[in-house]
Amino acid sequence: MKPPESDQQLFERLRAGQEQAFVALYHRRQPALYRFALQMSGSASVAEDITQEVFLALLRDECGYDPERGNLVAYLFGIARKLLLRQFERRRSDVPVDASGEDGRFVEPADPCDPLADLAARERVEALRRAVSSLPRRYREVVVLCDLEEVDYAEAAAALGCPIGTVRSRLHRARMMLAGKLRDERRGATIPAWKAARCAI
Amino acid sequence: MNCEEYWNEVAGPEPEGSFDAHLAACPVCAARWETGRPVAAGLRLLAEEMKKVSAPPRVEAQLVRAYRERYRLRVPPVGEVRRWWAAAAAVLLVAGALWTGVRQPPPPLVAANTGLAAVAGSEEEEAAFIPLPNAAGSPQDEDVDLVRVELPRSAVTALGMPASDDGDAESVEAEVLVGPDGMARAVRFLN
Repeated sequence: MKPPESDQQLFERLRAGQEQAFVALYHRRQPALYRFALQMSGSASVAEDITQEVFLALLRDECGYDPERGNLVAYLFGIARKLLLRQFERRRSDVPVDASGEDGRFVEPADPCDPLADLAARERVEALRRAVSSLPRRYREVVVLCDLEEVDYAEAAAALGCPIGTVRSRLHRARMMLAGKLRDERRGATIPAWKAARCAI
Repeated sequence: MNCEEYWNEVAGPEPEGSFDAHLAACPVCAARWETGRPVAAGLRLLAEEMKKVSAPPRVEAQLVRAYRERYRLRVPPVGEVRRWWAAAAAVLLVAGALWTGVRQPPPPLVAANTGLAAVAGSEEEEAAFIPLPNAAGSPQDEDVDLVRVELPRSAVTALGMPASDDGDAESVEAEVLVGPDGMARAVRFLN
């Protein structure tokens, strides 16, 4: 069986005007980029705009992608992050993700046969989602990239423009923060609304 | 190795791997590692749930439009696509009919459809349209498209049709009347 084309091959073909390659690359990379933007911005419409802008950037003559500096995944997440930072600067606020999603797409039953287990699993996941969305941006982005989107450390470092060691340390710090938030929530000490709604960028 | 080096350089993405030498020797890091386990498990669940989320189809539609504008790709209108399919079908049918003609004595070329016969008659000065077998039974007043195609000269002569010796041309031009169902009704050779 023929191995799937690499991102680099698809990129070269799409730049040569082959629409199929553009669509194939979009299908391969869009979901993770969209979710990253959604988790970071808390807004489906912002996530849509960011996803669109990232792929439009690929079409520009001077798109700035250099395979020597990192692979295409890192480049795409890097663009998405820059656009998000611009958004944050514009809004000067960092709204946590609405747990229900704008159209309810987030809520999926984990086990339709066992409503109690389902409820518990959903509550755990929802608590964690709230905790992730209330993390300061620099910690949230590593959690979303590395833990949720399974981007490897080297790619994440290239996307964030920092050393791998920084990615690792932020990730572990973020996990400790998440553990603390979940513990607090279990004890009933819920995160103050103002703290969840605004956090340092 | 101190604790900072361990977390920045060694610890893997999943704090569920083997309990390594540093963790065995450092109770603080071991406790930290234990704290991270349920979080990592929860993040995996969250990641699994999030996998169902992706951009709505309108984003792709907008991007494809932008891509076509950028690379000036022409999208053929629906009618044009239909005409090309009709032409392809016509070529296949004519070729099929000619191939049958090679293997069997050619049937008398009688216009089975008066509508087509009328078309053939009206253009008699140029060259007559030859009704194809599948033209029988088609309505007289149906709308037909005229499609110009090229066929190999050998296929024309095999049918017993006169094909003028037009230099070294390997193929002859023909016009095909294509019915609304995309099937060829009649053919006329132009050279």
